[in-house]
Amino acid sequence: MSLIIEGVVLGIMTGGIYALMASGLTLIFGVLEIINVAQGILVVLGAYFSFWLGQHFHIDLFLGLLIIMPAMFGLGVLLEWAFIRRLRWDRITLSILVTYAIALIIEGVLGFVFTTNFQELHAWYIDAAVPIFGFFVNDVYIIAFILSVVLLGALYLLVYRTSFGRRLRASMQNRTAASLVGIDVPRVQAITFGIGVSLAGAGGVAFGATNAFNPASSYDLIYRLLVIIILGGMGSLSGSLVASLVLVIIGDVVALVWSPVWSSTVFFVLLVALLLFRPQGLFGRMGGRKQ
Amino acid sequence: MKALRTLGLLALLALVLVFPVLLSPNNAVTDMAIFTLIYAMAATGWNIFSGYTGYISIGHAVYFGLGAYTMALACQHWNFPGGYLPFLLLPLAALVAGVFAIPLGFLALRVRRYAFAVTTIALMFIFQLLAYNLRGITNGSNGVFLPQPPWSADVFDLPFYYVTLALLLVSLGLSWRVRHSKYGLGLLAIRDDEDRAFGLGVKTGSYKLVAYVVSALFAGMAGAIFAYFIGIIYPQFTFDPIVDVNITTIAFLGGLGTLAGPLVGAVLVVPLQQYLTVEFGGESLNLVLFGAFLLVIFLVLPRGIVPSLQGKWSAWKATRAKAVRLSSAASKEQAVLAERRERL
Amino acid sequence: MNGRVPKKYLFVVGAVLCTLLLGACAGQSSTTNTSAPTGPIKIGADASLTGDASDDGKAIKQGYELWADYVNHHGGLLGHQVQMIVYDDATRPEQATLNYQKLINVDKAAFVLGPFDDAFTVNGAQVAKKYGYAFVQGTGTSPGDFTHGLTNMFSVSLSASRYMASLVNYILSLPADMRPKTAAYVTSDDGFTSAQVTPVIPQLEAGGVKTVLNKIYPAENTDLNPIAAAVAASHADVAILGTSALSECVSYLKVFKTQRYNPKILIATSGPDQGSSFTQAVGGAKGAEGILVANGGWWPTIKTYQNADFVSAFTQKYGGTADDISSDTVQAFSVGQVLQQAVNQVQSLDNAKVISALHQGTFNSLQGPVKFTSDGQNQLALPYLFQWQNGSLIPVYPQGQAQANLEYPKPAWSS
Repeated sequence: MSLIIEGVVLGIMTGGIYALMASGLTLIFGVLEIINVAQGILVVLGAYFSFWLGQHFHIDLFLGLLIIMPAMFGLGVLLEWAFIRRLRWDRITLSILVTYAIALIIEGVLGFVFTTNFQELHAWYIDAAVPIFGFFVNDVYIIAFILSVVLLGALYLLVYRTSFGRRLRASMQNRTAASLVGIDVPRVQAITFGIGVSLAGAGGVAFGATNAFNPASSYDLIYRLLVIIILGGMGSLSGSLVASLVLVIIGDVVALVWSPVWSSTVFFVLLVALLLFRPQGLFGRMGGRKQ
Repeated sequence: MKALRTLGLLALLALVLVFPVLLSPNNAVTDMAIFTLIYAMAATGWNIFSGYTGYISIGHAVYFGLGAYTMALACQHWNFPGGYLPFLLLPLAALVAGVFAIPLGFLALRVRRYAFAVTTIALMFIFQLLAYNLRGITNGSNGVFLPQPPWSADVFDLPFYYVTLALLLVSLGLSWRVRHSKYGLGLLAIRDDEDRAFGLGVKTGSYKLVAYVVSALFAGMAGAIFAYFIGIIYPQFTFDPIVDVNITTIAFLGGLGTLAGPLVGAVLVVPLQQYLTVEFGGESLNLVLFGAFLLVIFLVLPRGIVPSLQGKWSAWKATRAKAVRLSSAASKEQAVLAERRERL
Repeated sequence: MNGRVPKKYLFVVGAVLCTLLLGACAGQSSTTNTSAPTGPIKIGADASLTGDASDDGKAIKQGYELWADYVNHHGGLLGHQVQMIVYDDATRPEQATLNYQKLINVDKAAFVLGPFDDAFTVNGAQVAKKYGYAFVQGTGTSPGDFTHGLTNMFSVSLSASRYMASLVNYILSLPADMRPKTAAYVTSDDGFTSAQVTPVIPQLEAGGVKTVLNKIYPAENTDLNPIAAAVAASHADVAILGTSALSECVSYLKVFKTQRYNPKILIATSGPDQGSSFTQAVGGAKGAEGILVANGGWWPTIKTYQNADFVSAFTQKYGGTADDISSDTVQAFSVGQVLQQAVNQVQSLDNAKVISALHQGTFNSLQGPVKFTSDGQNQLALPYLFQWQNGSLIPVYPQGQAQANLEYPKPAWSS
């Protein structure tokens, strides 16, 4: 029984981190209607960024966020302006291809600069742990989880309580109508992409603090993230949060109680099962046409 | 025009037929050619479904893997010796892939387009995990060994080359037939606007499923040949997302929904990827170069190489026709009038 | 059916010409160098330099290059200077096949050596066999590798199934009141690791050590936290970890440390043998204290063939100390040594002669003496037990070779 509790607690912690990474992806889809396959490598980029700051300037990995998040935001805006904006025909599929190409380039550069050896983010408190329910939870996990909660909360506030957020939601609902009422949709898109990338960067710090990573880690990540946002409903922030928690918790509990061998399988089987009955995901909007 | 086309076709066929024997400088290049053909065939098959219907399946490696394991396990259980005999198992590999494609396709096609893509990935990973975990059947991480043909090194590659080439031609032929048939028209209608097509009486459900199963057949055979050629298979290299990515990239690069697209794509992508890994692999620069290459192509020729170039060719021809018309006008006045008429 | 068809084929012709061009480019390498008896000779290998196993891949490459340097400084191979070529396979089977094909057909290498990954070892040996090449390798030691009739393949290292023999002997040699009572076994479903771990279970059970946990997980499983947590929760006296890479081992140790799980015996199949990469990842010498690893018989000060030279050459070329040397580098260097001796024994660069020399002869390497069985295994390799003590990895069992007593029980994690 305690094993299940442990699985649930671990799952909540890790799930929060995944929710942070996925939130950017689902936001980008909602507003720009593109699938940013590079989200995985951007997370890894955030982790490496933090690693680099720690190595050369001895900046604490969570404080480094103050540098990383704005920098990644700038990168996101740049990418959107340079590449995404040019996509006109068949945006969704082409966005997958173009972001995939960008992801390859970033992966190659990271591999070149940092080599493909696994790295980890270190901090003096990395091994300190807190006892909960008879087992220990790493301080780092707790901090990473709190970070995720804070950022997601801030995101929620941004989207639902600010005027920018209103413009963002309007663009999400109906781009043409939004521009007709005077919203500068391209600007909203660029800023949203920037936010999505900066969230990926933050997720990278949380991820890197709790996992070993190398450039190839992006593949596992992007598959999980895609599954999460489909499960949650593309474009839905609360959906990605719930989906992350559900999937990670179930995965961890299955691994602990039954066998790790089947935890990933359960993950995917549940997704397929859900999509059969609810093709739009948990919180996605039911579109009219099949397109 | 028709004579020119047939001549071009024959010349091309001749080139490809004699390539390994007369034109290939060494076995390494022939190997590269074989992998190119394998991917070209898989991509052409994939295109019959994803290209014509617009439903992008990113999980086709599931059939690649099924074909590979069918080939390997069949050879093992029936004690096939290396040689020509295992090639007879190719239809079996196709059959197994096709049989699995029916329920899987049925499941996957119930969701919407972008969810469909992710569903196919999920299905692929489920099978990868099954391949790992059902150790009694698949031998798990230890992989399955295939019999080695006894042919000498000089001619070893040739049977693989020609068998794959033959299958590629079959897939091309099928793709061409589908494209120029009423069925194919239905598929293209589904791509353009599915609800309207349904409204007009196209049986969208069965059309999509049939195309899906057909594309699975070729992916299965590609996997089987791949397995036999490499000689040993593992779950992670057959139910492999990289295979998915390669097939998709090849088809998109060449031009989705065109006949020659997957061919052009395979011929560019496979040798380029392998060449870059050999020359630059150690420092990860191969990824940067390949990514940059893809980026340029996708931005400059967003519809893929073949359709974009076709479009430019048509535009150029139209401009030339206009110029010809203008120059053959009897007088300058007529030319001016002709110009005005053109502009309208 | 419209006038657009001809252009399609024009493009395809163009594309085919591109392939030929690319192929010719890729195929272009040294053209005149065959096995000419006077110039430098090429020796090649494939390694996974990018991807999951890149730590190991790089270590192998270092070992091969170090060996080539060493040979060149000491008169060369039968008088020829050796040029070592190592290609990256990006962890793709097609690439591994292609690399070996290229080495043999294009680069006209005199010999080819093994890669790191078991999967590609068999692959490479098959390609080599087609051309009658010997395939000496140091890392493909899973039992499965030897069942395919590859008479040209020679593994210079200890076979996986015998790795843990010393651990079992040690545990069973302890008096009953000191012996551990329970054991947890977790292993990656990889031929190499599961081959090491699985034979141990019945042997220890026969000795009264109860199995409280026995889990096998897919080799591609990246999230080890639940499994590690399960091991910690089992409170087993002995923890036997079948890890296939350093990163996996580190994941376990982090969780054990956090959960304050202190087994009396902790052994991992891969990770603790990676020298300084390991100690750095676990927080220095203190973090590594007491951790065991089974090994085919090498430590920095062992008095084996050319070891002193090897260690000084390594530290000269790559810096650091002897404790930084990974076992992969040792294995790669040993491969080179055995090849050289075989070549010298028959005084020829002809692969057929070298293969028969390899089958018949006895050789020396950094890892001790080498003699091959008919299926290519090294029958003289002995399993040793190594332990990290005070920042050095030293042999602790069997007694005859031990540099110190085995530290039992393992000291508790310090913060």
